[in-house]
Amino acid sequence: MGYAAARGGLKAIEAAERLVARERILGESSWLESRQMIEKLRLAVDRVMGEGGLWDEDLAASALRQAEGDSIEAAHLLRSYRSTLPRLAYTTPIDVDDMDVLRRIVPAFRNPPGPQLLGRTTDYTGRLLQTADEDTLRTAAEKMAAFLDEQVTPEVEVGHVVSGAEPTDDERRPRRLLELLRDLDAVVDRRRTDDPEPFDITRHPARPPATRSARLATMARAETGALVNVWYRNILGPDGYLHEITLGEVRHGRLPVKVVHPITGDEISVTEVRVTEVEAIEDLDGIEEDRGRFDVGYGLCFGHNEKKAIAMANLDIACERDKGRSFLEQSILLTTDGLDASGFLEHLKLPHYVTFRSMMERKAAVRRHKETT
Amino acid sequence: MSTSLLQQVLGEAIGDDESLFDEPEVNFGLLDEYSKREIRRAILTAVAVPGYQVPFGSREMPVARGWGSGGLQVSLAIVGPDDVVKVIDQGDDEGVNAVNLRRLIVSSTGIPESTTPEDSTLIQTRHRIPEDPLDERHVLVLQVPVPEPLRGVERDMRELARMHAEADYARMWVSLYEDKVRNGVITRTTGYPCLVDGRYVIATTPIPRWDVPRLHQSRFLSLFGAGREKRIYAVPPHTDVEPLTFEDVPFEVEVTPGATCRTCGSSESFLVEVPASRVDGGGHWVCSDSDWCRRRRERRDHPSNGGDS
Repeated sequence: MGYAAARGGLKAIEAAERLVARERILGESSWLESRQMIEKLRLAVDRVMGEGGLWDEDLAASALRQAEGDSIEAAHLLRSYRSTLPRLAYTTPIDVDDMDVLRRIVPAFRNPPGPQLLGRTTDYTGRLLQTADEDTLRTAAEKMAAFLDEQVTPEVEVGHVVSGAEPTDDERRPRRLLELLRDLDAVVDRRRTDDPEPFDITRHPARPPATRSARLATMARAETGALVNVWYRNILGPDGYLHEITLGEVRHGRLPVKVVHPITGDEISVTEVRVTEVEAIEDLDGIEEDRGRFDVGYGLCFGHNEKKAIAMANLDIACERDKGRSFLEQSILLTTDGLDASGFLEHLKLPHYVTFRSMMERKAAVRRHKETT
Repeated sequence: MSTSLLQQVLGEAIGDDESLFDEPEVNFGLLDEYSKREIRRAILTAVAVPGYQVPFGSREMPVARGWGSGGLQVSLAIVGPDDVVKVIDQGDDEGVNAVNLRRLIVSSTGIPESTTPEDSTLIQTRHRIPEDPLDERHVLVLQVPVPEPLRGVERDMRELARMHAEADYARMWVSLYEDKVRNGVITRTTGYPCLVDGRYVIATTPIPRWDVPRLHQSRFLSLFGAGREKRIYAVPPHTDVEPLTFEDVPFEVEVTPGATCRTCGSSESFLVEVPASRVDGGGHWVCSDSDWCRRRRERRDHPSNGGDS
């Protein structure tokens, strides 16, 4: 082999890796356990699973630790790991009404069908930073834990009444607001049959014009901040695709995942995933639209991530109403992936001296031309 | 065959205790076989329709999007146990990203590496074609950041698809014309738009204009992988690659009169500038192809070890 050149590049990379490792793996504090992250940094782990497109809390926690807490980097680790695995089976379609609801709110009605179930949220908790020293906080937490253990059943808020009772089946699997609106004939019917198989964004690039399933899959895996930004551009930015959204459902709960058994042919439940699901009711106001009815946008993503699911539901109905008139669909499909955007941004750190030399040469050529004419 | 990151980082500190690194072996070439087959199918389509951007289900790789993930997928989909790989970035085998990509390919396949095109079969490159003549033995895999040559004149992907389908490149020609009229010269720098086989306009990655004539009627196969944008395209051997220019406006490559490589004296290679500094004094030029430059220098210093080629 003719390979004998100095390996300075490799030495530099290895030295950089050791610098990271010394602090991350070997630093002074104790080992950061996956279990700690899954329990105590739940939202960060959920976000990584959602943006990584892989449901596995242990792997996501491991990725988050390896990425020093950078959620996009952690999602990258999950996705590139998945690239090494063969895809052996597809699940059967999940009926979201099978959701075991952990939290459910319906802003559109004071007393909707089924409960208003606040669940685990800090929505109505004052954002007061805990400034006490760590020992005090730890002691307080232990007292709190002892107090909660004494209670036989967890507190559950149902219909704005705190009750100590276990929720009933109807409370766990409440009827949807949308069903009520459909009963009242208050929703346009745009069910269609031309998108029967969900578009698989991991096997085919989704490009406009795309099916709704392609848009939904793209948003389900999109970077949370990117989706929030596309939504907010509509509110204060230059876009303005959106109108008056009222949230019909915000749910967080567990869904069974089922596959067909390869030998028996029976449908079997293999695991559970937690998802956030949102239905956004849109007050149609377009000239060609049915002003006597509402329409609905849908959002669903892995884990507990309400920001993302709400933005997704809003953008789903916005895209539907836009009907390809603007760049909204292209923005959703092409610019909301965290790995794409941050990878390309960070690639600017790579050496670019060949392209820059070419630019310098053209600058000189333009100046030469101006001097001679 | 492969080592985990932990092992790479802590190898020296921990020694040879393999049991500490009980991680599953990865497949030859990292990707699972179904994925490799899918990418190879896209490559075959790309070769059959020169210059056409074939959509493919780009996988997430152990390098970030924009860092050669497309080139890496192409390389790993076609690499075999008999290949010898060379990886360059800006022409340099020792660029840190080139080192990282080569390390991934070698560690996941066990194939040998080389810096010399003569000894290599698979050459993955970011933004250069090696100065050495390449031939039928070589597959050149180019990392592509932006595969769409028309994006400067059209943003809407639906319209871009139509323009390529109908070979409607009128707006590209107009933009080149306006460039010439406004600036006196065509100011396109790298990634110069070229017509392939008289049919599709491609972005020649950002290789410098210097390298563009090397693609025309080449003896080697060039595969362009754009991972982030999920496109693969190809220039097969013996295919026309014509830079878009006008009959009376010659295509110009990067040449600085009088510039020669300070280390090997070359004036017939693509040179990059080392700017003047307060320490070193005046600026100078060096070859961007570091291995070509090294061999040229060795031949000059030790003429008996091999003639000029």
